[in-house]
Amino acid sequence: MTTPSGIATRPTATTAADDDEPRRRSRSKAPYLFVGPAALLFLAFSLVPIVVAIGLAFQETATLGDGTWVGTDNFERLGSDPLFLTSLRNTLIFTVGTVPTAMVIGLALAVALNRPLPGRAVLRALFFVPMVAAGVVVGVIMSWIFNTDYGVANNLLGVVGLDRVPWLTSPQWAMFTLILVVVWTRVGFCMVIYLGALQSIPNELKEAAAIDGASRWQRFWSVTWPLLRPTTSILLILNVVFSLQAFDVIYVMTGGGPGFSTTVLIQYVFRAAFIDARMGYAAALGLVLVAILLLFTLLRQRATRKAEEVL
Amino acid sequence: MSRRGFLALSGISLAGALAACAGESTSTTHLRLSSWNIPTDLETYQRIADEFVADHPGTSVSVEVTTGQFHQWFITRLAADLAPDIIRITPQQIGRYAANGSLVDLSGAIPADYADDYSEPFWAIGARENGVFGIFQHTDTFITFYHRDVMKQIGVTPPSSLDEAWRWDEFLQIAAEVKKVTGRYAFGFGWSGTQTAYRWLPIVYQNGGAFLGEDGQTPSMDTDEAIEALEFGRRWYADELVSTSNMCKSGGGDVSRNMFLTGQIGMMLNNPEPITQLDEEMPDQWGTTYMIRNTDEASDLGGNALAVTKSSKHPGLAAELVAYITSREKMVDFCHEGNWLPARASLDAADIDYAAHTDTMQQFIDQGARIPLSLVKAESGQYFSSLNTVFADYADLCFLGELSPSDASAQMMDAMRSVTAG
Repeated sequence: MTTPSGIATRPTATTAADDDEPRRRSRSKAPYLFVGPAALLFLAFSLVPIVVAIGLAFQETATLGDGTWVGTDNFERLGSDPLFLTSLRNTLIFTVGTVPTAMVIGLALAVALNRPLPGRAVLRALFFVPMVAAGVVVGVIMSWIFNTDYGVANNLLGVVGLDRVPWLTSPQWAMFTLILVVVWTRVGFCMVIYLGALQSIPNELKEAAAIDGASRWQRFWSVTWPLLRPTTSILLILNVVFSLQAFDVIYVMTGGGPGFSTTVLIQYVFRAAFIDARMGYAAALGLVLVAILLLFTLLRQRATRKAEEVL
Repeated sequence: MSRRGFLALSGISLAGALAACAGESTSTTHLRLSSWNIPTDLETYQRIADEFVADHPGTSVSVEVTTGQFHQWFITRLAADLAPDIIRITPQQIGRYAANGSLVDLSGAIPADYADDYSEPFWAIGARENGVFGIFQHTDTFITFYHRDVMKQIGVTPPSSLDEAWRWDEFLQIAAEVKKVTGRYAFGFGWSGTQTAYRWLPIVYQNGGAFLGEDGQTPSMDTDEAIEALEFGRRWYADELVSTSNMCKSGGGDVSRNMFLTGQIGMMLNNPEPITQLDEEMPDQWGTTYMIRNTDEASDLGGNALAVTKSSKHPGLAAELVAYITSREKMVDFCHEGNWLPARASLDAADIDYAAHTDTMQQFIDQGARIPLSLVKAESGQYFSSLNTVFADYADLCFLGELSPSDASAQMMDAMRSVTAG
């Protein structure tokens, strides 16, 4: 500034800066004060337990007291533990069964509800309700609905002349029933997230495609779907995390049975820790679960990045 | 309010809240007793504890609720040294904690003749070679419930004494007839989730078998008697006498009770819990007889003991309170209020003065007296919580027909050995 007023104000400005120094210093501390409590809680309830769990995975630990260092024994035992392999397989089936299904139905609902419809707000809320219901409550209610002998599901099948289905009592059906229930709880969540993403896509893009002669399907596949890719990526990771952590509904509805047909990895972690009191082995199982999740997330991120590069 | 004022107030509130969390009065010796969330029992415990407090100036007792999955709840509190002073604990849960030093020896606080009024099996629940780690307060066992109308239709008069109790073959014949009347299934078994799988173990003992050997630690489900018992269980489902929705791991609570109430079965092997609902929904239409048997007699070991935890800062006083609650007089009071079966051998249904069904309650008490010591030692042993889950896994597979009884026995033995090997 070369204006006289600018020259005249320079000393004043310097004084003001001196006066602001304590406030600036205080402001520089403010972010730490805001972040501090959350960081402290994260440290106490997440980071420290994670570090302790990693340490535990290399120990043989009874219920209480100090453990004995056993190196990689717990991890070596995993390979020859049939229940671990069964639960790993069941986890894969459960995840593959729940994640794509919930996302596809969620997307379909979002597309359907992303237009003026009578009672649209009510429908959205209704689809979302199962997501906020407690897993144990859902499990108990579904155990009744899918009871082979006095459940509503089989009574309805009876009304239309169909045979009873052993929803939860047959090893061949139980996993399917659990997937059905979990998809029902998850669809509303996927719908809400997709709905938000759909509403952020500018109409001009679709209109331009329509003017160029694109059909409805082409508009969706070539315009909408690519723009939903970041949302799909986040939803995919979140849904995989949810599926790997699905515990309460399975615990209440089948207890991992019949036999081992619905025993998933997270259930086996709980069993090893609190039923068998093998904390070290449970920690090793938990680390395997984390490793699977990390690997999946990394692969997914890499795939998304490649897709964006192609675009 | 200024920012500093707000922070100061928050600090004071936090300190107050933390002090409140400590839950301990500074002027009195305070004890915490934790029980299952059964409102009547919680009230009775508090009333009895208040009487104890009246006799012990300077003390106070609060009754709390044991929440969630027991082992998860108890292990985490023990690890934090925040477990309640006194814990209500089942025979199947007590073994691990008696063995690993989580419970306190009560020997010094109980009269020398205290064990005299207990049967050997019931005293063995808490007694170990190195002390007494719990006192059995009340029991709970299985007998047979039946629809009066169904029995009338098939022309069967249920046994009226233990010596006449149905043997397996006889029971299966009757069950086949019952199935014809109901048009669905014959009977149900009172499991309510994986953690209650052990309720089926008496069937093994009824055939002269055993889940664990005499030492209470060596797996013994590979004997002919045990395999025959598994075959017997398999027949329940193969002949469609029992629904596959009524299995060890079935969810949705007591499936047999619901099927009995809806007339889909004519009999159920169960504990006294369904009585209230049966009275409400089908009064005078049901009756009871004794538990089935084969070469031997056995029935479910239900009920609870009271134990003092290592977290207690006043173990002597806590042990005194346990002795007070399990005294003859207070046991009568507790069982009367909660409709429980007394653990003391000298008490019968007339002493308890039940509000209803005195005869049925006496049947339960008589049946409870036939629980064998070997079954008690097995179920209250160090590894039982894990072994119970193993049993649930393989019994489920066997009953469903996924494994033959001999294969189920072999695989169950392998899994049991891996548990008992530590």
